[in-house]
Parts: sequence; C-alpha cells; structure tokens
Amino acid sequence: MAEGSGSLYDPRRHVRILSERVRDVSSVDYPGHFPGEDHSWDLAKFTENFHLEVQRLSQRSVEFDLVGVDASIANAFRRIMIAEVPTVAIESVYAWDNTSIIVDEVLSQRIGLIPIHVDPRRIDVKSEGDESTDRNTLVFNLDVRCSRNTKAKRGATADSELYINHEVLSSHLQWVPQGEQAEVFEADPPRATNPNIVLAKLRPGQAVKMELHAVRGVGKDHAKFSPVATASYRLLPLVVLNPDKPVPKESAEKFAACFAPGVIHVDKRSGKVRVEEKNLRKDTVSREVLRHPEFEGCVELKRIRDFFLFHVESESAYPPEDLLPEAIQILRGKIAAIRQATEALLDEDQTMDSQDAMQTD
Amino acid sequence: MDGGNSNQQGMHTTPFTAPPRQEMEYICADCGVKNEIKAREPIRCRECGHRIMYKKRTTRMVQFEAR
Amino acid sequence: MSCATFQIHDESHTIGNTLRWMIMKNPMVEFCGYSVPHPSENHINLRIQMYDGLSAIQALLSALGNLDSLCEVVDDKYKESLKHGSYERWEEKS
Repeated sequence: MAEGSGSLYDPRRHVRILSERVRDVSSVDYPGHFPGEDHSWDLAKFTENFHLEVQRLSQRSVEFDLVGVDASIANAFRRIMIAEVPTVAIESVYAWDNTSIIVDEVLSQRIGLIPIHVDPRRIDVKSEGDESTDRNTLVFNLDVRCSRNTKAKRGATADSELYINHEVLSSHLQWVPQGEQAEVFEADPPRATNPNIVLAKLRPGQAVKMELHAVRGVGKDHAKFSPVATASYRLLPLVVLNPDKPVPKESAEKFAACFAPGVIHVDKRSGKVRVEEKNLRKDTVSREVLRHPEFEGCVELKRIRDFFLFHVESESAYPPEDLLPEAIQILRGKIAAIRQATEALLDEDQTMDSQDAMQTD
Repeated sequence: MDGGNSNQQGMHTTPFTAPPRQEMEYICADCGVKNEIKAREPIRCRECGHRIMYKKRTTRMVQFEAR
Repeated sequence: MSCATFQIHDESHTIGNTLRWMIMKNPMVEFCGYSVPHPSENHINLRIQMYDGLSAIQALLSALGNLDSLCEVVDDKYKESLKHGSYERWEEKS
C-alpha cells in the first residue's frame, strides 16, 4: 500500500492502541514542535503528500480514503456533509382530515422526515417571513382513503388483500406543480426517494387528507434536512508484529482469530504469522489480542493518524459521490465570507493606524 | 335546524340571532353508528344503547409544523 | 495589531478547528486557539497572538488563502479519482 504521506510505519503517524487507553492522539505537525524541522504550510509539499482514492461506489453510498490531511480538515468535511449541505424536506402540513390512529402531530413529524427526490440547487431558500413562491416551495398532496376490498377471496387474512389502501405510503405523495415548476422539474418530477416508507396504517373508513409544503434547509436546523444517512470516518488500523518475539507456532491460529478474518495470514507449514497489509482496513481493532498473556509483546496495535477511511451514505437527491464536492464548495464559501469580513477589518485597522501615526507626529 | 336562540326551553333570550347551528353528530364508541344528540337529551346510542360517544373530527383545516 | 480575538458569527467547530490548525502552521504565530463560548450561542472566538509584533489579521488572511487552496487540491484529486480511479462499483439494496 504505497499511498501518499510516506510509509505507514513512520512512528510519527501512529496512534498507539493499548489495552485500556490510546496514546499519541494529537497531531504534531506544527512549526516548532521538532527542533530544526520546518512544518510550516507548504502547498506543493501538501499536494505531493496528499492522497485521495475512491474505494467503493454504489448508487447510494461511497467509500473513499483521505490521506495526508489533519483531522480538523477531515472532520470539517464530515460535519458539513451532515449539517450544512442543503436538501428539501416537508416543513408545513395542512391537515383537513386524519382519522388514522396516528395523531396529527406524530404523522406530521413522520411526513417531515421523508427524503424528497429533488435537486436542492434548483430551489431557493425560504427565509423567515418570506412569501411562499414557486421558487422556494414545493407542494404535495396526500389523499388516501381506506376501504374494504370487495373482491377479496373468502378466508383471506392479509391486510393487503382484505383492504384497499391499508397503508399510507411515501409513494402516495402527489406533487402539485406551482407556477413555472411544471417546466423546471419536467425531466425529473419531485417525489419521495423511497416509495415504500409506511407513514400510517389505515382501516376501512379511515382517511388522511393533507397538503404538504416542502422547503430547502440544512441539517443543523433539523435532521430531516440532512442529505446523508451516515457520513463517518475511521482511521486505518495497523498491526505491527515484533520480530524479536514471534508468535508461538502452536497458538498461531488463536492469534489470527483475534483479528478480523483475512488480516493475519498463517503459513500452514511453518506456522509463521504475517500481516496481510491489503486487508488491514478490515480489522475492527477489537484489542482481543491484548487480552492473552501468551501474545504479550508480540504485537502492537496502531492507527494511522492522517489516514481517513470515509463512508458516506446518501439519503437524498444527491448521488453519493456528489456529497464531498458539495461539502468542499460550502467550506470554500465559508472561507470566502470570512475573508471578506477580515479584509474589511484590515482596512479599518490600517486607517486607525494611520490616524494614530498622524497624532503622534 | 333549530336556531340556537329559538330553543324550546327559551334559554337564550338575546335579541341577536345566533348563526344557525347544525345538530352535533357523535359516533357511538361501541357500534360506530352516527348519532345526533340534542341539548338535554340523554347521551345514549339509538342503536345499541351504549352511553359513550366520540365527537367527530373537525372539518376545518389544521396546520402543523413537520418537526 | 499583533494579538487579537476574532468573533466569528454563525460558525462552529467546523471552521474554528480547521482555521486553528492552518493558523498554527504559520511559524510566526505564537499562539492560536478557538473556543465555542456557549453551545446555544452560534459563534466562536478565535485567538491569535503573533511574534515580533506582526499583524494577526494578516496571519488570519493568509491562513484563509491556504485553506482555500487546500480545498481546491482535495476537490481536484477527488474528481480525478472518481473519473479515472479503478474502484469497485456495486449495487446496493435500498
């Protein structure tokens, strides 16, 4: 695994995992930390060391390695993906009828949590006090009435056979285009991303009739706006065998069983153990091996401090691979905003300084 | 279709005519039949004699925040 | 102004910690730290102290510039890996 940032065995990159604690958690890559070493920011050096590799991609999740950045950067991406990438979710519920056994408030909350398939970049933010317009609000209707299925076979017991509409599903949401929306969203009409979410159960005679208004928002306001189911990272595990104290041959299999399958390779003939480097990421770092006295001193467990294994699961209109670029864009937007404010501060500071200088003259 | 103020018992003697009030419909808790109950009438289902009634849900729109 | 505390509104640990890290990468910075004074107040305090009477505002500005270029590198490499990388593609049930 010759990937960025030099060797995996550089002790400066290691977080040590001991039986009851972790050590060397904090990063040390600051100027002045090591005498005579320069750790100041260097874009060229960073670009050379930095490594990013997509590992797996499905239609709803992505896994990628982010290597050679500080935890603060990786964490910023994670936090932004969860809390600041906008999505569209239902915010207001206008209920005309709800005779289901789910009370209005609870049903409203459940409806708010439905992930809506619509590109948030095509919807404006509706701030407090703003009028609802076709630019900032999507309207859905939910009109479901349960009745007896007269064609049900005798002796049928399944709800789906006995009744018509015995469940209110997310697929029952009917989008009602407003103004120019019919044209704007023609190619990909707004709908629930998952059509099979059960919102309420009904029995004959019960009905739900509601109008729902969806707006754009961010996860820090309410979790329903979060575009991800999970966005998380972990550090790459590392298992280092001690060459001076090999694992006893007779307990080689027991040793291998202390790790996730595939992490430790046992040679059948010689009984020697070896770490399978490409499978290191499969390890759970359970520390089981540290519980057995016969393995004491044979092995060290570590994690690489700047090797982040991201797992991002999209639960929104965004394809999973679009979430990181979106987060980066939002971070850069924040940076630009702060820079603007700082520049204004700098101008103020300089005029103050020149005034001071004039007074002392 | 009794007006509220023209009640037989003459409870209301205000000169204003209150808006015509529809008879309240209730639903029997036992058999589910619709019952119209007038004021001072015993609360009892006409079909089954059960004495517990549910009020019907309002037909007005109610607004909620989906939070 | 070689020592300053900047109050940044509508920001949190996300920006606070990244900025702190990037400012600490500057060898002319004597001290840099940030705090969230109260979890229900939506702002952070960022403290910068410089050596040799250098400007704290300049240090903040250059850190912002560096962070932006870092983001650009990450963005480019991600898109490149997505385009040319040999990653596993699979179908996930939902």
